[in-house]
Amino acid sequence: MNSLRPLLLSGLLAASAPALLAQEPVQINLKTLTAQMKFDLSELVVSPGTKVKLLFENPDDMPHNVVFCQPGTNVEQLVMKMLEKPEEALKNNFLPDDPKVWLKSRLLNPHEKQVIEFTAPEKPGNYPYVCSFPGHAASMQGVLRVLGEGPKLENLKFALYLGSWKNLPNFTELTPHRTGDVPDNLVQLNFDDYKNQYGLVFTGTLKVPANGEYTFYSASDDGCRITVGDEQVHKHDGIHPAEIRESKKKLKKGEYPVRIEYFQAEGGAALYVGWKGEQFDTTAFSKWTPENWKKGVQQKTNEFVGLPLDPKGAPIIYRNFIAGAGNRSIGVGFEGGLNYAWSAETMNFTLAWRGAFMDAARHWRSRGGGHQSPAGFDVVRPAELVPPLAVLESQNAEWPKFTPDQPLEGYAWKGYDLDQNGVPTFHYTWKGVQVDEKIESSGDFKKGGSLVRTLTLKGPIPAKSFLLLSQKAKLTSAKDGYAVQGEKLNLNGTNYENQILIKAPGATVSGNSLLVPVSEKIQISYTWPEMHPANHATHTAQ
Amino acid sequence: MKAQRLLLPVLLGSIVSAASAPRPALAATEPDPKEAEYYKITTFPTPPGTALEVSSVEFLPDGRVAMGTRRGEVWIASNAQNATATGAWNKETMAFESDPGAPETSRISYQRFAEGQHEILGLAWKDGWLYATNRYEVLRMKSQSGSGKADRFETVCDKWGVSGDYHEYSFGSRFDKNGDLWVLCCLTGSFSSKTPFRGWALRVKPDGTMVPTCSGVRSPGGVGFDADGEVYYTDNQGPWHGSCTLQHLVPGSFQGHPGGNMWYDLAPNMGPRPQDPMDKSRMVTERTKIKELVPPAVYMVYGPGKIGNSSTAIIADESEGKFGPFQKQLFIPDQSHSNVSRVFLETVNGVKQGVVFPFLTGLRSGPIGARMGKDGKFFVGGSDRGWGAKGGEVFAFERIDWTGKVPFEVHEMHAKPDGFELTFTEPVDPATAGNPASYNAREFTYIYQEKYGSPEVDDVLPKIEKAVVAPDGKSVRLHFDVLTKGHVHELHLDGVRSAKGAPVLHPVAYYTLNEIPAK
Repeated sequence: MNSLRPLLLSGLLAASAPALLAQEPVQINLKTLTAQMKFDLSELVVSPGTKVKLLFENPDDMPHNVVFCQPGTNVEQLVMKMLEKPEEALKNNFLPDDPKVWLKSRLLNPHEKQVIEFTAPEKPGNYPYVCSFPGHAASMQGVLRVLGEGPKLENLKFALYLGSWKNLPNFTELTPHRTGDVPDNLVQLNFDDYKNQYGLVFTGTLKVPANGEYTFYSASDDGCRITVGDEQVHKHDGIHPAEIRESKKKLKKGEYPVRIEYFQAEGGAALYVGWKGEQFDTTAFSKWTPENWKKGVQQKTNEFVGLPLDPKGAPIIYRNFIAGAGNRSIGVGFEGGLNYAWSAETMNFTLAWRGAFMDAARHWRSRGGGHQSPAGFDVVRPAELVPPLAVLESQNAEWPKFTPDQPLEGYAWKGYDLDQNGVPTFHYTWKGVQVDEKIESSGDFKKGGSLVRTLTLKGPIPAKSFLLLSQKAKLTSAKDGYAVQGEKLNLNGTNYENQILIKAPGATVSGNSLLVPVSEKIQISYTWPEMHPANHATHTAQ
Repeated sequence: MKAQRLLLPVLLGSIVSAASAPRPALAATEPDPKEAEYYKITTFPTPPGTALEVSSVEFLPDGRVAMGTRRGEVWIASNAQNATATGAWNKETMAFESDPGAPETSRISYQRFAEGQHEILGLAWKDGWLYATNRYEVLRMKSQSGSGKADRFETVCDKWGVSGDYHEYSFGSRFDKNGDLWVLCCLTGSFSSKTPFRGWALRVKPDGTMVPTCSGVRSPGGVGFDADGEVYYTDNQGPWHGSCTLQHLVPGSFQGHPGGNMWYDLAPNMGPRPQDPMDKSRMVTERTKIKELVPPAVYMVYGPGKIGNSSTAIIADESEGKFGPFQKQLFIPDQSHSNVSRVFLETVNGVKQGVVFPFLTGLRSGPIGARMGKDGKFFVGGSDRGWGAKGGEVFAFERIDWTGKVPFEVHEMHAKPDGFELTFTEPVDPATAGNPASYNAREFTYIYQEKYGSPEVDDVLPKIEKAVVAPDGKSVRLHFDVLTKGHVHELHLDGVRSAKGAPVLHPVAYYTLNEIPAK
């Protein structure tokens, strides 16, 4: 909501000139979450009487609407009541015709959107909203909170101190360099020409309007502390950039002395402080406010983040939709931070990466669809989604292709075993040959580890059989192997360099492919470039 | 759009903020005290550190209970039949936790047998192997080393497609009477099929070969057998489905949603592709035109206060009375209503049809996987993920036990040429049960259409002309002035009392009258 700040500032400047307030509406975006039976936001906050432009989008594949009700409405009962007359409800597209409803969207079909302009109620309060399509109300609801501004600091004074600190000093033991009143009662830093190595103590009074819990905010570069009465209500000490922090405190109604302490070491300097209560929206005590300050601490709106799979001891196996690895991928993550995905549709080793293994939130917090990228970095895919083995009349012949959901000619997927350490060996057959493939992790991703892939073949191997190691790549001889610079790899919008060092005895370059003639046992190692001893000097720890 | 309070804005800056708050608190259901007198729900503690989103349940030969979960794990529970220690939801640890003081013998215990699979919506035990159905294959697993953890995973059949769309679930059955497993493949999204056999029922033979068996599937919620071993699945309200349904899987049949019918090209055993149904028609009309079309055996009447929104598992009572008086009937949970309904089926003119009654409310999450033992212990577990559930918790594993008391309920409901015959679990009071004014009936159907869902339409309000109580007081014959072929016959029995004066515990029945018997 970058657009809000200029509006807010102009609002402040125009406080004595109401005519200028014939303002542009504030935009709110409200979406349904695909396949989750929820709105993306369960709380919207507006100030009383604001003109609002609500962009309501329905990216889900079910119809949804949004219906705003008066405070205190039991939205589920409202929907139940509407459905007592099902024919009428259907005729009204499941939009309740009820005096408790003061605003409603159309019934949006899948992938439709609607812009609704309205003026927020004048009366502060919690106005529930709900999707009134049958069966949705239980989880598709939220609250539009209409909140005005709260009390600000009064009788504000400042004291400027000079000194070099890494944390807030005990200002009471120091002598101020300069003191004075703050005429507009707004905390600010521009009292002097001092840019570095100073401290400020603001003192004033604050009227707490009611008993309750209040949230105090800061964004300070560097440390700050807020004290109300005798109690510290907020602190973000030390040297750091300005980043919104919050803390909560229960306070009793009354007028309190307030003390805001701050210090600046060197470099950037900024100070925002503010508060928020049950009956009022975030209110700044300071002249400067950071971007999105009304939102407080940024919440993760992306619900598909936050279930990391972290291998401890035995590897973790994750059969799911992994981006870049097809629709039947088997992710395997080792404790040492080396990971790969093997495809049970191409029967091939497809992706390898370092660092974190997978975040399961996309699949485990929703209905389970969509391809999730690996959580780590340096993702490589030496070849496209193709089968691993082929009989080639000439080494330059085209490698067979794979089409999703078309049978993979000559191959059959047989499953896998786990050894006593939990490491899988995959089994498949190819032209009557039984193939066992095991990929082991050697070492740690921070200290130069590699993935070692071993294929064991049983049965008559056809003549002129090859295993494909990489495709469409720039190949350079490196110590004992090949530095492979594959095509640029993009997974869900992130680009990867797609570089890997492949070592395989007998490997040969054929055009821009790396092949190895098939034998009963083939061993290949994959090492990331900077892990190679020759490049070790350039390696930077991640 | 209706805006009000168009008052002069007095704002210092247009102020909007929006925060993503945690999930809204759902109104959790509690067991109904009247139902609890007859059927008791035990909500188990769950293993820490995981989401026990039970999506399939199977018994091992030693009586332990195996569960496949949506997170792709297999858990094995011991003492599940006898455990009485319940779990309380702890929102910090996201698990049901047991009272630490509960004696050992009262506790359930868990062992993780396998993990890493792709959403297990079917489990079946055979010859030392646990068969599991994931999104794109049937596999079987065992502990080869004897460590108690599965270490061998063999592919049995992987011949249907998956594209990454969430909707492409695959539900697997247990072994049917021929030794085959059934796999029910959800469409890609609600309307179409992007990859082979999405929208089909498949059979997997013991040698792993796959036989496409029924087309027309939309979005299954479970697959199971009746007490005779006939195969059914539940489908969900959506395109071509005015309501959730219980459907009879007759080999060769078309189940009603044409979105996956292009795969007849890959299923020569099924013969030519049937003609598509006409949009905005009625099931009873289209049946006369499309010979492969099998009508829903029972409409699991959609909507709040009715049967449900999302039917799932199909459980036949084969306990011979250990689960109460409803032997051989079906019990079908509903994921969004967190309840269980009861179905009685009969065959009329060769077509399965029958009645659904409310049975039990108050499950704690959205039931998906279930299984009842011959001892009458009914295990059910599930998750609310993706659709929400009235129960309010994100997952749960529970057991339903009969208390030994017989509720006063309609036991069976049989179609007759001019009405219905009801049998009851207890003798009725002849005065109330014999009075037509004790009953109230309505007949309706759904639009058979491509659009999502349907209202209840074509209402007929029949007159109940006579209610004749049998001499033994255990059954009542209702004579209607009109029956409507293809309609759901909704019957309320609010005025009926048992001989002891009790009202019917669930005084509503929904009978799907596909066929009217000649006698």
